[in-house]
Amino acid sequence: MTTVTGDAPAGRGGVLGQPLDSREDPQLLRGEATYVADIDLPGTAHMAILGSPVAHAKILSIETKAAEQLPGVLKVATAADFTDVMPLPCIWIPGGVESHFPPHPYGLPGARPVLTGDTVRHVGDPVAVVVAETPRQAAAALAAIHVEYEPLPVVTRADEALADGAPQLHEAVPGNLNAYWTCGDKDRTDAAIAAAEVTVELDLVNQRTINSPIEPRGAVGDYDPATGEYTLYASTQGPHNHRFLLAALVLGIPFNKLRVIAPTVGGSFGTKGYLYPDMPLVLLLSKALGRPVKWVDTRTGLMSSTVQGRDHRQHVTLAGTRDGRITAVRCTSYANLGAYPSTIGPGVATALMGRSISGMYDIGAAFCEVYAAFTNTVSLGAQRGSGRAEAAFLMERLVDRYADEIGMDPAAVRRKNLVPEEKFPYDNGLGWTYDSGNYRLNFDKAIELSGYGDMPARRAEARTRGKRLGVGIATYVAICGVGPSTRMSQEGMLGGTWESANIRIHPTGEVTVTVGSASTGQSHGTIFAQVAADELGIDPATVQVHEGDTQKAPYGQGTYGSRSYSMAAPAVVLTARKLKAKLVRAGAVFLGVPEDKVVYEGGAIHEEGNPENTKTFAELAMAMWYGWGLPPEIEPALDETTHFDPPDFNYPFGTHVAVVEIDELTGETEVVAYTAVDDAGNIGNPKIVQGQIEGSIVHGLGQALMEAAEYDENGRLISSDLGHYALPRAADAPFFALDKTVTPSPHNPLGAKGAGEIATVPPAAAVVNAVVDALRDLGVRHIDMPLTPEKVWRHLRGESQ
Amino acid sequence: MDITLNVNGRPEQFSAQPNELLVERLRDGLGLTGTKVGCDTGQCGSCVVRLDGRSVKSCLVLTASAAGGEVATIEGVTARGGELSGLQEALRQEHGTQCGFCTPGMVMALGELVDATADGPAPTEPEIREWLTGNLCRCTGYHSVVRGVQRACAASRDEVPAGSAASTAAVPEV
Ligand code: FES
Ligand code: FES
Repeated sequence: MTTVTGDAPAGRGGVLGQPLDSREDPQLLRGEATYVADIDLPGTAHMAILGSPVAHAKILSIETKAAEQLPGVLKVATAADFTDVMPLPCIWIPGGVESHFPPHPYGLPGARPVLTGDTVRHVGDPVAVVVAETPRQAAAALAAIHVEYEPLPVVTRADEALADGAPQLHEAVPGNLNAYWTCGDKDRTDAAIAAAEVTVELDLVNQRTINSPIEPRGAVGDYDPATGEYTLYASTQGPHNHRFLLAALVLGIPFNKLRVIAPTVGGSFGTKGYLYPDMPLVLLLSKALGRPVKWVDTRTGLMSSTVQGRDHRQHVTLAGTRDGRITAVRCTSYANLGAYPSTIGPGVATALMGRSISGMYDIGAAFCEVYAAFTNTVSLGAQRGSGRAEAAFLMERLVDRYADEIGMDPAAVRRKNLVPEEKFPYDNGLGWTYDSGNYRLNFDKAIELSGYGDMPARRAEARTRGKRLGVGIATYVAICGVGPSTRMSQEGMLGGTWESANIRIHPTGEVTVTVGSASTGQSHGTIFAQVAADELGIDPATVQVHEGDTQKAPYGQGTYGSRSYSMAAPAVVLTARKLKAKLVRAGAVFLGVPEDKVVYEGGAIHEEGNPENTKTFAELAMAMWYGWGLPPEIEPALDETTHFDPPDFNYPFGTHVAVVEIDELTGETEVVAYTAVDDAGNIGNPKIVQGQIEGSIVHGLGQALMEAAEYDENGRLISSDLGHYALPRAADAPFFALDKTVTPSPHNPLGAKGAGEIATVPPAAAVVNAVVDALRDLGVRHIDMPLTPEKVWRHLRGESQ
Repeated sequence: MDITLNVNGRPEQFSAQPNELLVERLRDGLGLTGTKVGCDTGQCGSCVVRLDGRSVKSCLVLTASAAGGEVATIEGVTARGGELSGLQEALRQEHGTQCGFCTPGMVMALGELVDATADGPAPTEPEIREWLTGNLCRCTGYHSVVRGVQRACAASRDEVPAGSAASTAAVPEV
């Protein structure tokens, strides 16, 4: 008998589930990691990008002579220099791709050219670049480029962009409508709403936000004329993906002549998975100049060049019975895609949001329609918790509104409508089938841990201090594990979304794991070592992990949508199982017993019932490297790869409870307590996950309380730097009360669900619910985010905006 | 203009333009890339170094104005690959860094707090959070950083860290 089976639960090595310290941390704490700005190749020239100062205009002329003559300037380039380069593709086109052989998305209506030549469509739209000897010389030369613009009318809101007579952004996109997308059953939902005892409606603005990783983006291009090979170093979440987009779709060069390397990446949260003009530009200019070309964004540049997030205007309706049974939910959303379709922005604004709107509730009828429109703003993309946060926000605001309307406790309404355990797998009627869940257990735990029952007393006590206390609950389901490739094609994704891993066991017994994923701060080196060590039954300290270099790593989509642990880690597990199976087969030779008497345990093999007849891991590694005496059907060496394409997504979920205090005099909202009970299935490293959950919650609080990308009526981005765009600081949140439930996913061998960003999904709803709760007796029924002190103060004074 | 700076205990002599920023000198001139640039408005704190013992945002300091001063950067806190300082070790144990981009600035700024309070009572949680106001972190939500400082202060005083309850209770076994 062997102990190797295909479906044995992971965790037998005893190191999974342990809060091992992150092995990446010491290097980061010493400031030794190399980020893209730290890369200094010999002979590097520096690129700067000239962005449009106006939101919408025809370019009449561009005069570059003066800039070309400035000291240190090597090249000034405009769109005219890149006429043979394809526009940047959008690979998530809502609606689905039916063919096995989809066309390349060349010439997609509205696609962004590498530099804009005729019409600029948002502030920051790149119109020219300078390459110079130093970054300062390049930046100085931008000021000497003279562009003549003829202003065009501007529109910055999706609903206004779709109105008759609105300014038109792209000739090929009449009416500015990129996609009209629906999910769910419209007739059934309309009927349920028409027949309902109670209906409530809300008009919601899910404001535009800017992810703001602390490291701005950057790229270094290095062309080698001797080999014809291009190397791109970039702050990217997905080096393989960028290689695909650049080689196959933009530059039209052979795949094997482009290498993409992600060095240490300083946070991303969704923004660094997109293809931006700077990436092809540094490669093309490196080839043109025969030198490496480097570009590092400024913070101000980032604000108007890196994808922004959220940005829906919605009319939402919920129907139910007088006794608290929800019978229908409907959403009409106007999604603002910005000026160009970003790499996957249209998919984020439609499927990721729409299919999630019913959340953790068992509702008979649901329908969502999205009008995705182009406007004169920065392109829309993902933002930590993207789509799912917008969905949770609308549903959880509606549930509170409904509870208020029928005079029932919001916790009781929620509990009554949770999908019951026996209904899993659960088809939510919007296109997702939830894999597993025990929602009541999770919900009850959060309610209890938050001290929900004590709120009346706490409310009264707060009043004695001049504070209004409010409590808000938000639950959520977050689709993660993007994804099953076929399923993603049905959502309109052009590309395989599987993940892969390679494990090589070296002659001396150490192990190298290589994955297609790429960390942006999630301690992949620690966690993938843990996964491999656990499965192989060896010490994680002997396992090295490599990723982020397309020349060394097997294909993979990279890090987004909380997918590394539920997509790449299963590939590691399955690869380790292949190696164990091989060692058992070879072990029959080494131990001189039949294969079914070989036991693999703790990294070694022994004969069943005879522990004396054994070979250690190191002995096996060396013997397999020698390869002596192996039968012809067993290849020497220990080197295996797995490509993991799961049967379906996974669906983490959770319940968060926010308690706020509002200062009666200033309108300032303080989050005084926050409870989060999340369920991410089996967790590989609770210490690392805890860090991600804490960071995610603070990110969500930021949207609720202070973050907003604001454009003026001319389309100028007012929040153009960190002085005008507020990010949460250390004093903005108390320590959180965290707990978890564990419902393993059946869709991968680890029972894992996404974790990294899931806790960003509910905080905005929880906080807004809490603030509205605190102001309910004043007649307040809704306040749009961000809940700035001024806004809240006006509501305290009875002035709505 | 010719300038002398003492950087991490080593005298450095060079000539600098009057508008050169200290962060440019450190990163581009001296190759000390541990100091990071996260913004261009003095908001993020990634570039914090210590100048004559005080934390400063090196993107807001002209090299010329620092002339003759003592600059300490992250590279001077520990040797490459070497043993971590007490603060770094405490941050490591609390997983106070994720992407690590804000981390050098945090270590430098918090180092001043730890030093400044070494002879008195440990800083309280609100004091630590207040001190961190000039340092943005988008990954950690700051909690693990605050716990790290509490741990570092407790360790240097031979106490049980004030934050340890929070950190161990946070994700109990189910
Ligand atoms: S780079 Fe100096 S404060 Fe941001
Ligand atoms: S660890 Fe990433 S910004 Fe702080």
